Amino acid sequence: MPHQCTNCGRAFPDGSKEMLSGCPDCGGNKFQFHPGSIDDLNASSDPDPAPNTTPQPDPTDSRQSGSGESSPPESPETTTDSTQTTASDSNTQAANAVTEDTPQAANAVTEDSAQAANAVKEDSTQAANAIKEDSTQADNDVKEDSAQASARSDVVSPGELEAAKATPPEGPPSNSAVDDGDADRPDIEELRNELNEQFESIKILNPGQYEINLMELYDRDEYIISLREDGRYVIEVPDAWGVTDRE
Amino acid sequence: MGLLTNLKDSISKVTDRLFADSEPKRIGIYGPPNAGKTTLANRIAIDWAGDTVGPESHIPHETRRARRKENVTIERNSQTVTIDVVDTPGVTTKVDYKEFLDHDMDKEDAVRRSREATEGVAEAMHWLREDVDGVIYVLDATQDPFTQVNTMLIGIIESRDLPVLIFANKTDLEDANIQQVANAFPQHETVPLSALEGNNMDEVYDKIAEYFG
Repeated sequence: MPHQCTNCGRAFPDGSKEMLSGCPDCGGNKFQFHPGSIDDLNASSDPDPAPNTTPQPDPTDSRQSGSGESSPPESPETTTDSTQTTASDSNTQAANAVTEDTPQAANAVTEDSAQAANAVKEDSTQAANAIKEDSTQADNDVKEDSAQASARSDVVSPGELEAAKATPPEGPPSNSAVDDGDADRPDIEELRNELNEQFESIKILNPGQYEINLMELYDRDEYIISLREDGRYVIEVPDAWGVTDRE
Repeated sequence: MGLLTNLKDSISKVTDRLFADSEPKRIGIYGPPNAGKTTLANRIAIDWAGDTVGPESHIPHETRRARRKENVTIERNSQTVTIDVVDTPGVTTKVDYKEFLDHDMDKEDAVRRSREATEGVAEAMHWLREDVDGVIYVLDATQDPFTQVNTMLIGIIESRDLPVLIFANKTDLEDANIQQVANAFPQHETVPLSALEGNNMDEVYDKIAEYFG
């Protein structure tokens, strides 16, 4: 479960403390979470993006990937290639990841589902999680993860405790941890679920202050034409007889 | 048989040409607020249609209704491609009138702008669902591209199998980081440009012709 600097692409093993004070290479403080192993990350990330200031992949290739055809199949090929030609510092990182922490590799398997869901969250959350993971690893070999531990400490009722114990392993995020083939991109289903849980398509917090659920707006058949201050809004409803405005 | 095959070929050529001529592709210009979408739309429209699409502003959410410029014919390498350019309102998950108060706007105007901007987001999402055949996704190269909005919109565009070009705009600014934009969406081609200054527009038009022609 490595992290990657979004600025220079350097990869860090899971739980690495190096990244907590910024990327040692470029000073960047934004990191991307990758559910795969660090080997995958080192291999799939661009080994040396610097010389190529304007990325110019083969136009035909990118055209294909634009039509959603071939980007996943391409990754494995570039994986082997770039592993061989990876810059020396990346190699040392990869070696570190392997030699330094075998418990960490094991931990990657028992990594909790909430952790996987965090792939889409902000880097601050990731940094916080990195600390939690680290302390969890150092402290014990217990299977339960940091999210569960914190949930456990907050929960009062035994019934709720059971529910909290039961649900996380079965939740959808654990699926994504397993089958998330292209680790570069957060799962759109996760984003959809996360936002749908939050609110309907447009939430009026106060006059002039709105929160917008993009997926809900995109998914709905009706098209919101105008908002009213009293919370009502006008929608255009497509139906068999053409377009109708309703309020 | 040869006659039939020839006849079939010529009929399909005629129908292809008919549809190709009658239906220019609608290319939506999408992106977060203040990325330079309208500046780009105006640049394209001025270069190839001699007209503008809409007013530009440094105040976010200046474009609150989608605007379309039809039949923009771009010539590249003795080929022509005709597209409808749709300049869409900036997409965001939060709109707050307070951000407009810093721009010498009174509260009433700021609240109205905020409401219209939210309606604009709804319209942009509606267009994305119904009415566009390809997307130019414009990002301000001086800003962090790793945002929920960008990830989600690119995800939607990919799920619809729409051809998409990522434009890293504002390369005239010193802190523009093209590589960061390219790293954010490695599965797509990133084209650097300054729509304001007209930098690298040749490549922009080459790519538009290649992707949407």
